[in-house]
Amino acid sequence: MKDFVIQGKVVRRELYLLLGCLVAAELVNTAAILHWGRPVLELLTQLGYVVVLALLFYIVLLLVRGLVWIIYKIFKIK
Amino acid sequence: MNEKEQMDLGRRKFCLDLGRMTGGLALLSAAPWLKACTDEKVTATQGETARIGMVGTGSRGRYHIHNLLALPHARVTALCDIYPPNLEAAQALCPGARAYTDYRRLLDDPEVDGVVISTPLGLHADMTLAALSAGKHVFCEKAMALTMEQCKEVYDAYQAGDRALYYCMQRMYDPKYIEGVQRIKDGLIGDVVGMRCHWFRNADWRRPVPSPELERLINWRLYQEFSGGLMTELATHQLEVCNWVAGRLPSEAVGMGDIVYWKDGREVYDSVNVTYRFSDGRKIAYESLISNKYNGMEDQILGKGGTVDLTKGVYYLEEDTEISGMRRLMDSIRQGVFAAVPTAGPSWRPEYRNEYVPHPLVQGSVSVNGGQSMVAADHDGSDLVMSAFCISCISGEKAENVVEEAYGSTLLCLLGNQAMAEGRTVRFPEEYKIPYMKF
Repeated sequence: MKDFVIQGKVVRRELYLLLGCLVAAELVNTAAILHWGRPVLELLTQLGYVVVLALLFYIVLLLVRGLVWIIYKIFKIK
Repeated sequence: MNEKEQMDLGRRKFCLDLGRMTGGLALLSAAPWLKACTDEKVTATQGETARIGMVGTGSRGRYHIHNLLALPHARVTALCDIYPPNLEAAQALCPGARAYTDYRRLLDDPEVDGVVISTPLGLHADMTLAALSAGKHVFCEKAMALTMEQCKEVYDAYQAGDRALYYCMQRMYDPKYIEGVQRIKDGLIGDVVGMRCHWFRNADWRRPVPSPELERLINWRLYQEFSGGLMTELATHQLEVCNWVAGRLPSEAVGMGDIVYWKDGREVYDSVNVTYRFSDGRKIAYESLISNKYNGMEDQILGKGGTVDLTKGVYYLEEDTEISGMRRLMDSIRQGVFAAVPTAGPSWRPEYRNEYVPHPLVQGSVSVNGGQSMVAADHDGSDLVMSAFCISCISGEKAENVVEEAYGSTLLCLLGNQAMAEGRTVRFPEEYKIPYMKF
């Protein structure tokens, strides 16, 4: 069986993307805290929800990137 | 732990630790009957013992015996029952107590300070009146009596005398009810706009009868001669809570009652729906059914800003400011995405019950039997009422408003039964109003 090689720069890119998703999720948390006038401590106490939301963002991003890749391949073949 | 500390701990089990509850001593104004079971009162009775005579030693009577045996300030000195198996079972619990088959003989016993009456409802009034006139303090099972006339007679006798009279309305001594009612009065759920109580079971309410001539005595709950059915056996507790919360009584009642499922010769309804209306238009919706238990038992107080379920000891807020921002964001997204029904257009959405977050009324408190039943549940307040009664037997002090609350709720039960029997709206009779009542 052929070995797959994941390059270091790909891993780094994915980690940056995941970090970006975490920041975006925490921004959503911040917006919710401001909107409903909740204690700032929820920036920490709601980290469970933030992580789940970040993973959701990452999966959506993955789907979008996959779609773009498929479209790119189709046009490249033509 | 030394002996003194152990005694302290033993005593404290049977007093209400108001210091641990929100509101502390302020609770005494909302529930003045608690003054008889504070730590100070229990301490004041140290070294003294109330001598108790049991009239009726069936299952409920023996439940009270178990509570009495755990009280350091009580001793069961006499027992009475006309049914030998019950009397023998009680004697096994209290070997030193004298046994009687006629309650009047027990009332003549000078070694009895107070009597606990756990007999069929139809006997409550006569026995209570006889015990009060014999100079005994009385603890009687609910409801107060089988008819309004008897209730008034007992109330008048109690007012005229100096003996203490207690009714086993255990919700009045249950910490989650006490704190719940206090917090409702403090505005926890805004204006109270209605009350909704129900008690559902799926059982026939029958007990095994060894011989046919004992049917009416053992299954007394099923016959009008002794019982007011679901209203006096179950609703009386819940209506008392409604009166307590409202600080007044409803002025009229309408309802329907039927024997829907248990058509076994019983004379009392197995399905009741009664609506009580206060003079300001608020209502108590009461329902009880004993052929389906899906809904269990609930005492719900409905406010403009939320709902308190006193049975479970929790409250729910319409606009819950205690829910985190993220949770509220997700709830609003979910409502926006899933609540719309495209086929019906924007004007209609199914108003399913929202998923409210329950908040406990008393920290560390748990619901009693998951809200299914409170009969003979541990620490439902029955032990505290009994403790308070024994303190009164020693001090001679009457408990504030216990009789008045029992009188009000029993009359409402009887009013509900009358409304169902006559199929019309009935008003609270003028002749049975007492100064304590507000309408």
